[in-house]
Amino acid sequence: MGKIDKALSALSEMERGCVAAVPGYAASTRVSMLLTLLYVCLLLSVPLQDLQRLVWFASFPIVWASVTGVGYGCVLKRSLYVLPLILFVGIFNPLVDTAPAWTIGALTVSRGWVSFVSVALRGMLAVQAVLTLTAVCGFADVCRELRAAGVPSFLTTQLQLVYRYMSVLLEELLVMGRARTARGYGRASYPLRLWAAMAGQLFLRSVDRAERIHRAMLARGFDGTMPRYTSAERHGAHGAGAVVWCVCWVAVLCYLRFGAIICFTR
Amino acid sequence: MHMSDGLISTPVAAVAAVAAAALIGVAGAKVKKDTRPGLVSLTAVLGAFVFAAQMINFSIPGTGSSGHIIGGVLLSAFLGPWAAFLALSSVLIIQCLLFADGGLLALGCNIVNMAAMSCLIAYPLVFRPIVSRGASAARIMGASVLSCTLALELGACLVAVETKLSGVTALSTGTFLLLMAGIHLAIGVGEGVATGAVLAFVKRMRPALLVGAGAGEPRGRATGAIVGFALAALAIAGGLSLAASQDPDGLEWSVARVAGSAEVPASGAAAARAQKVQDATAAMPDYDNTFAGVAGASLVMLTVWGVCALLTHRRRAAAITEKE
Repeated sequence: MGKIDKALSALSEMERGCVAAVPGYAASTRVSMLLTLLYVCLLLSVPLQDLQRLVWFASFPIVWASVTGVGYGCVLKRSLYVLPLILFVGIFNPLVDTAPAWTIGALTVSRGWVSFVSVALRGMLAVQAVLTLTAVCGFADVCRELRAAGVPSFLTTQLQLVYRYMSVLLEELLVMGRARTARGYGRASYPLRLWAAMAGQLFLRSVDRAERIHRAMLARGFDGTMPRYTSAERHGAHGAGAVVWCVCWVAVLCYLRFGAIICFTR
Repeated sequence: MHMSDGLISTPVAAVAAVAAAALIGVAGAKVKKDTRPGLVSLTAVLGAFVFAAQMINFSIPGTGSSGHIIGGVLLSAFLGPWAAFLALSSVLIIQCLLFADGGLLALGCNIVNMAAMSCLIAYPLVFRPIVSRGASAARIMGASVLSCTLALELGACLVAVETKLSGVTALSTGTFLLLMAGIHLAIGVGEGVATGAVLAFVKRMRPALLVGAGAGEPRGRATGAIVGFALAALAIAGGLSLAASQDPDGLEWSVARVAGSAEVPASGAAAARAQKVQDATAAMPDYDNTFAGVAGASLVMLTVWGVCALLTHRRRAAAITEKE
């Protein structure tokens, strides 16, 4: 049940991260989303063999997560989740592409190793930018901006409802899991029959809960869309500071992608 | 099977995003027309259920390992394919935005690979035809195993194709496809058995939920539209990506058109002075250029992190004290 605890604490950290965000550095959610999208697009357009340029791209999540109080260490740790599939797909590159790319003294590094590291770095940096965005702006505000940007209301309503009930069902599962662990004599995973009963029970409880929720929503005038709200205190556009912040980052990111980056060699 | 941004190129991501957005649009229109009471809340809560159920691992006999469900076929059996597709897409979006499970630009790929393949292909083409002839426990189990295996295999093959088109892997297409398909065959069977077990449990406890699910949709028309759309999306994805991979990246092309070169060279007195400073301060002049660049840039990033952490440490501490 450690995974459930982790997921619950991740959700709770997310909420805390939003509160800890420093308003002086926070641009509006919409601008932050566009900046993140630009970052990911530019990041993915860097050729795989240009590892040096990719490393510079780390500056964006590092600075953004740090100055907004989210903390880069936390973002870095969570971005490690992307590694398993990347390692699985990329590990064959060093075996297949053995052409030399660099020489470090007597050691020769193949192109396969360079592309392998590049793939892992790209994946991690892209995820770090997204995690920082949601930590700084908050998931509810991201949904609100998606709605304002023209994403259909049925999708944003779904996202908000799933997000809200995710923690509720996780807590319910945690209770079921604790009860089972107390009687499970240290077994970590479940035999299929028991697992099916657990998942089935959770499913039935979810359906019952959905019926209660639906009745409560109807009683409060639900018409198929979630009401909009504004939280100007935390995520309003912060005037000139926000504009300077965004313009600077656009310039830096474009330079990192297309400019002649600094070399540490003669 | 969640693809991260590291595994795809921008053109492939763009094409998949368009396909996913179109499918979500169609799903939204279908769900709006659906008159089942409480479908919005049921879809959302069952989306959250799938997320929660993915946290419980079941033992895979004889291997010592464990697995969890993906939930596409399971959701489709209760909600119908389009509402299930919407629920699973919502879960994938939230997993991407909050849990680093899959990338932002890879979101379209993940929705097509996982949600579309299971809810819109495997469920209507395999699960529903088998179960519609009689929902015995054995039939449900067989339909679950077959449909989940098909969904996983299709998704795995798409991952291989998308990764190959993006130029990320050095493996040949055939080898990569075989590798992905082979591994996901076992996972698909496991997913199918688990899905069948849950469906059998619900059928035993509350049969009305299962029997009524997805019954209101016209089978032939929906299946034809889905297959047609999926094939069109695949054809467009493949065609556009192949064309894109032979040409320069769109951003490079645009900058080259404006500046005459894909890279903007540094010029002028300031650049010359910077060059002199750089010559004087180069930390690793005798090493390979690229390695030295990577090492230097990494060092700078660590320094930036350190400085940022130092600058913000006091403020964070003050915020925590204030909260307490």
